[in-house]
Amino acid sequence: MHIVVCIKQIIDPEVPFHLFRIDPVTKTQIRGSHPLVISLYDEVAVEVAIQAKEKFGGRVTVITIGTKEAVQALHQALAMGADAAVLLSDPAFEGVDSFGKARILAAALRKIGSFDLVLCGRQAGDVEMGLVGPFLAEELGIPCATLVSNVVSGNGKIRLKRPTETGYEVLEAPLPCLATITNDETNVPRYASVKGIRAAMRVPIPTWSAADLGLDLARSQEERRIEIDEMWIPQREIRCELISGESAEERARNLALRLRELGLI
Amino acid sequence: MTSVLAFCTATVTSIPRSALEVVAAARSLAQQLGGVSAQALLLGARVEQQAYALIQHGADEVFLVDHPSLASLEDEVALGVAEYVVRQMTPQVVLFPHDDLAGGHVAPRLAYRLKAGIVTDCTGFAVQDHEIRWLRPVYGGKAMAYFRAQGPIQVATVRSRAFEPLPADPSRRGEVRPVDINPETFLPTVRAVERVETAEVEEGPSLDRAEIIVSGGRGMGSAEGFQVLHDLARVLGAAVGGSRPAADMGWVPHSHLVGQTGKIVAPKLYIAVGISGATQHMAGAGSSKTIVAINKDPDAPIFKLAHIGVVSEWEKVIPPLIQIFREMRSQG
Repeated sequence: MHIVVCIKQIIDPEVPFHLFRIDPVTKTQIRGSHPLVISLYDEVAVEVAIQAKEKFGGRVTVITIGTKEAVQALHQALAMGADAAVLLSDPAFEGVDSFGKARILAAALRKIGSFDLVLCGRQAGDVEMGLVGPFLAEELGIPCATLVSNVVSGNGKIRLKRPTETGYEVLEAPLPCLATITNDETNVPRYASVKGIRAAMRVPIPTWSAADLGLDLARSQEERRIEIDEMWIPQREIRCELISGESAEERARNLALRLRELGLI
Repeated sequence: MTSVLAFCTATVTSIPRSALEVVAAARSLAQQLGGVSAQALLLGARVEQQAYALIQHGADEVFLVDHPSLASLEDEVALGVAEYVVRQMTPQVVLFPHDDLAGGHVAPRLAYRLKAGIVTDCTGFAVQDHEIRWLRPVYGGKAMAYFRAQGPIQVATVRSRAFEPLPADPSRRGEVRPVDINPETFLPTVRAVERVETAEVEEGPSLDRAEIIVSGGRGMGSAEGFQVLHDLARVLGAAVGGSRPAADMGWVPHSHLVGQTGKIVAPKLYIAVGISGATQHMAGAGSSKTIVAINKDPDAPIFKLAHIGVVSEWEKVIPPLIQIFREMRSQG
């Protein structure tokens, strides 16, 4: 089984509130000195792909749209256990919306040629729209399973686990298909081993441009359907009221009384 | 006349709150656009009564797709029905609840097929000169943004609890129009072949509905530590949640994870115990009306984000707190 995982590199979402800045003109977060990471659910998708490879055999290819810096994210995925990686990079890719991104990824998948399963995180950890996965399935014209957490069987038709409010469902889908990945207790991303990190550095990572993909993105740029009009950081003026008391018991009592006074309990 | 169409599902016994919320959002948007009607599309099995209820709750007109096969709704069937109805009715805007079915599947795929601009997980909107700007948090709630969606039709999904359902008004009148379509003509390529219930039948309210949530983090130390939070939740009639470390360590089920990678909640009272206040967690809990933090570390970031704080080891505060709440309860 050939699994292709689409990942996105983002600024570490754990940047604390007081260091978070945005550029009001580009309407994006300012990078500053913050580290870049694989978006949370995309890292989970890499884990799901590697687990499926371990269980059912096959190989894992990771692709991303980004600048040269995104090679770092691909290296991380390779170090976790992916076999190959491709960087999709071109100035024309910048500023396209989710429709445009789905076109770029679909062109890359067609160039890769044969694949059985495409995995995308359920949503990126920055703007969190959750569109690229379902859009890509539509663009490729393949079945789409959403919000699944693992591959439970991979022979012939594929079976996928989907967490529900009270348990889980098993979905069956023909191949090739695309799945968007959510997290559960079975797919916590692994740490890369030292050996894995060393091996990853030796894997050549090709870069494919718009021309390599045979893509004319002028249309995607003109037909942007999703645009950010305005972005701002809301003021958080919370002053924490600390509950006093000599002992923990006294603080517990004062807390209970305060909550009752506020009509909260 | 153009319209705003609200996508709703229901069962024979109930209408989910999310359906009433999305109808309320459609009503409000239709009013602000002016001269636009608020329509609903209702899918379900034996749900005609519910269609009339949607009218009482703010819909001007309801398109009803009532079929036994819709008792358990497959994503692609819902997508097929929604696409059929939207192409027939050509509303100006289609609104969905931002849940797993609609937000995760139907709305994005429908938007793609219609080449419609789409904004997901909206918490509001602003209308000026008939132009809609969609409001939503970005970067895990650290920033807010207005989005514009282009295209002949706009699609949006609305965050749970962002809109209050309108009270039922029995004097409201409107048409319920059955849609002439057999949902079984949409053959899903992806099907659920097995459904497994793993969670024990839980007492108390669900995270989505709870007025009070008691939540624990890494500081709880163990699954046993979490037991105390369950005791606290029981006496308060609260739901129990957890941060990502707590869920990853299996102290709470992943379905109870509150945060950027879990549930986004907005209860009246959120009691965070042994939680440092990582931004990933606050993205899920930050909209709570009142946040109480109990943490032994006075420098924990949570104390910059909580309204009320107790600097103490939870082991020393929670047991007496349970006792005090019990006494308060028995005194009435």
